[in-house]
Amino acid sequence: MRYCLGMKLGYTIIYVADVPKTVAFYETAFGLTQRFIHESDLYAEMETGGTVLSFAGNEAAEMSGLAIIPNDPTGPAAGWEICFVTDDVSAAYEHAVANGCSPVSGPSDKPWGQTVSFVRDLNGCIVEIASPIALAS
Amino acid sequence: MTPKASRSVEAYWSFTASKTGNSLILPDGRCDIIFRYNIQSTDAPIPVVTGPATQPYTVEYDVGDSWLGMRLRPSSSAALWQSNIVNAANNVLRGPQALTLLPELAALNHSSLTQTNLEQALEMIRPRNVDPRLTRTLDAIHLSGGRMRIDKLAQFSGCSARHLNRVFQCNVGLTTKTYAQLVQFHRALKLIRHEHLPITDAAFEGGYADHAHLTRAFRRYGGFIPSEIPENLSLPILPS
Repeated sequence: MRYCLGMKLGYTIIYVADVPKTVAFYETAFGLTQRFIHESDLYAEMETGGTVLSFAGNEAAEMSGLAIIPNDPTGPAAGWEICFVTDDVSAAYEHAVANGCSPVSGPSDKPWGQTVSFVRDLNGCIVEIASPIALAS
Repeated sequence: MTPKASRSVEAYWSFTASKTGNSLILPDGRCDIIFRYNIQSTDAPIPVVTGPATQPYTVEYDVGDSWLGMRLRPSSSAALWQSNIVNAANNVLRGPQALTLLPELAALNHSSLTQTNLEQALEMIRPRNVDPRLTRTLDAIHLSGGRMRIDKLAQFSGCSARHLNRVFQCNVGLTTKTYAQLVQFHRALKLIRHEHLPITDAAFEGGYADHAHLTRAFRRYGGFIPSEIPENLSLPILPS
């Protein structure tokens, strides 16, 4: 039996070493805009529509009693990613790499009709840049 | 104060007992410089200097017993103990012994014992240049609740495990592993005491292999078992 708990995905929150620096990076590399930053500089939100992309300081995790592996651009990435969708994957990928992202794999066309590419951000997090995919009717 | 901020400054604290009792001081790998006295007595305050602690100890007190102390940040241990840092763990110097290590404490008596004067007396043990790799390692240990292994910590801090261990021991006075185990213990204790997690769940989230593994850590660092956590923990209270 499935219970309806009324859950919806509200936030994706990435713990980072430096919140303002990460916000600035995402504005430059991915063209997002900041919609909120707390005066402590330990939390910020980007203007990303219905599901908010947020950055929180690593210390915020510690204050919440969480134990995390801090993101590390010099090591393997954590096992998850965020994906930005755009019609012009090549241009977005080039722009991201030209503005500080580390290239991982350039745009490639997939058999299911999608163009995908991967970069890593300043903190070493995986960011996918992909074309929209039409759901089968 | 955020957890990171509290690790990067010396913490001054004081406490006066309003009734007779005792409390169990849990080790957190940091050093303390303390004056102990009684507000109803004219006896001179007794200076006490502790090495980085890895063992719990009990303090008994009477009405009026007071402490004024400074808890060093983890990276300051060597600035206090100098070349004796290698043998400083769990070492406690009282009275004349404390004065031998820190002659500056002799200037402080009943009338001059204030936080400001203590701060001034201890000016010279502030470490000038803390290796940024050590700061980064300490942050990573606390962020991961002591669960990152030494090779991962070394990679994160940009040096070899061997070098990291040396820097850590020379400054903190404990091995990286022991310090991480203390952090892991405190987090598991917090999960049980404050988040009210069942012991098995706290063991899992805290990174212990099983209930027995967590129990061994609690015995070693707290002297108690997880199902019988004493009420009289961690006094004198430090600023959190």
